[in-house]
Amino acid sequence: MKETRSTISLNKVTKEFLLGDGSVFTALKEINLDIKEGEFSAITGPSGSGKSTLMHMIGLLDRPTRGGVIINGRDVSKLDDNATSFLRNEFVGFVFQQFNLLNKLTIKENILLPTTYTRKRLSYDPSERAEYLMDMFGILSKKDQYPNKVSGGQQQRVAVARALIMRPQLILADEPTGNLDHKTGTEIIDLFEELNKKEGITIIMVTHEMEVAERARRQIRVLDGEIVSDKK
Amino acid sequence: MKILSGTQQLFKSAFADFRRDKVRTALTSLGIMIGVLSVVLLIALGLGLKNYIEGQFESLGANLLMVLPGSGFTGEGGGGFGGQGIVGGAQFDEKDVRDLSRLSGIKYLTPVVFKSSLVQANGEEKAGYVMGANEDFFGLMSYKILSGDLWGKTEVGNRSKVAVLGYNLADDLFDKPADGLGKTLRVSGIRLKVVGVIKKTGDNEQDRSVVIPYTTTFGSLNPSKTFFSIYLGVESKDEVEAVSSAAEKILLRRYDEDEFAMTELSEILSTVNSIFGIINVVLMAIGSISLIVGGIGIMNIMYATVTERTREVGIRRAIGATKRDILLQFMTESVLLSFLGGAVGLLLAAGIVLLVRIWFPVALNLTAVLVAFGVSSAIGIFFGVFPAKKAADLSPIEAIRYE
Ligand SMILES: Nc1ncnc2c1ncn2[C@@H]1O[C@H](COP(=O)(O)OP(=O)(O)OP(=O)(O)O)[C@@H](O)[C@H]1O
Ligand SMILES: [Mg+2]
Repeated sequence: MKETRSTISLNKVTKEFLLGDGSVFTALKEINLDIKEGEFSAITGPSGSGKSTLMHMIGLLDRPTRGGVIINGRDVSKLDDNATSFLRNEFVGFVFQQFNLLNKLTIKENILLPTTYTRKRLSYDPSERAEYLMDMFGILSKKDQYPNKVSGGQQQRVAVARALIMRPQLILADEPTGNLDHKTGTEIIDLFEELNKKEGITIIMVTHEMEVAERARRQIRVLDGEIVSDKK
Repeated sequence: MKILSGTQQLFKSAFADFRRDKVRTALTSLGIMIGVLSVVLLIALGLGLKNYIEGQFESLGANLLMVLPGSGFTGEGGGGFGGQGIVGGAQFDEKDVRDLSRLSGIKYLTPVVFKSSLVQANGEEKAGYVMGANEDFFGLMSYKILSGDLWGKTEVGNRSKVAVLGYNLADDLFDKPADGLGKTLRVSGIRLKVVGVIKKTGDNEQDRSVVIPYTTTFGSLNPSKTFFSIYLGVESKDEVEAVSSAAEKILLRRYDEDEFAMTELSEILSTVNSIFGIINVVLMAIGSISLIVGGIGIMNIMYATVTERTREVGIRRAIGATKRDILLQFMTESVLLSFLGGAVGLLLAAGIVLLVRIWFPVALNLTAVLVAFGVSSAIGIFFGVFPAKKAADLSPIEAIRYE
């Protein structure tokens, strides 16, 4: 078996939230997790179990209260703002559960937004790639529309296209099929599978649909902030 | 190249933002615009008042000495230049004028009778000021003739019913000011022939005056044959003090110390200037208030959109914007907004100033412009950048979830 290196490792990651009443809520409890390069994983678990919080830790969108996040062998908590921003920009593509599109930008501008923050010269024409992605997701006709003027499913596809525009090594998708009909949902997962197989992109997605989870080659189950099962 | 495209990107994004957030953009720049506009205009007004008054005094020359009843301008706070608000005190007569004429170092000497009354001519009736004086009055006031001629010593001696008409009054009574020449005026039942019309002086009282020989007033206009004031034109500025005390000595022979006052124009000027100092402070205070009001407006708008903007910062950070990117973006927006607002305010102010200048000597002041612009922009930039800085210091997800 070929030895693959870890893209991401979580080392005893704990995330606590300070609640309004002064008490502390522990959303993640000393999580240890190794995600290898080229893996296609699904995270499942009941609502409130900590799936999104876990994704935010992996995607460098929030800092753990304790523990370390190691990406390509480097502890990211030691990185400065520039380096962290660089990773968010070029290394990960994040699909949020709530899309998080900017309503004052058009759909195409939203998809292109990550490219405006890149520090490297892109090997492709961003505009062409954006149109290619929109075409693939059937939203090309909406490119000059604003996100709040299109359906939830279409917004989700914009969010996925935005996550893909930079050709990231890692895609983190929080309920990417949550707002899609069965057919489009399947198409998105097909796309993920293709990206994973052909381009070796590491994919982690959160889903509550068994059918979707089974398409992944690794299933991680979270319950009350802990990983309760991890099947490959 | 990289930097250029970065800047271009920033400007593009800022303008895209303005287009989409028209209301916020308009209100923010409005706040700055109003701040700049009001401060610049208020200061222009203050300067205008000062210029106006100084101009008035300059046209009279600083060598004018006025003998007034009561304790003069500084005392009772009377009716102003040539006004009738001063009550009590001496009633000057021809003997006083004769006594004062013996003084050395004086160039002009004239008694002054002053009455506001209605002037009829050409089927019109307008308010004007009748001034009785001798021929020296014209030289003292440096009147410039528009048409006709000034009356002289002979007319004073003959109690001639002749008048020299101020520009504005002539303009009101006749089609053209110069048309007044040779016409007859009726003032308090006396018929006066207009022998001359003078050029505009800019002083309202002078421009509405009917100047007649003081002797002509001895009748229904001035039965007591007394004078409101006596004006002395001193040969040189250096002699003003000496002439003033010599005149005072002469008058003290007939009047008590508190019955009359010697008033130098330069003294009035300094009083007026100190009044303007206060007026300017008041205008400045009003200006500051409008700057603060504009600033609060900007602050309100920025705070009303802070949740939305914090979320935006979170999203941008999540897809790779550095803190520096965010600050640059918001800085660019705020600076552009402030400058646009400030420039519009300034242009408006300049336009209004240019327009008002036709009637009134308002003036732009560079310091006022810079201060107004600086303070407004500082407020605009601070409230644009400060929330963004706070948002950028949160983790992306905290910013996205900000409430
Ligand atoms: N900012 C926060 N402050 C306080 N509590 C939080 C915060 N974010 C998440 N939590 C809590 O942490 C727990 C995990 O939340 P998380 O969003 O990760 O759940 P989830 O597994 O994604 O749920 P869902 O399937 O409904 O999306 C929840 O109980 C949630 O209430
Ligand atoms: Mg979730």
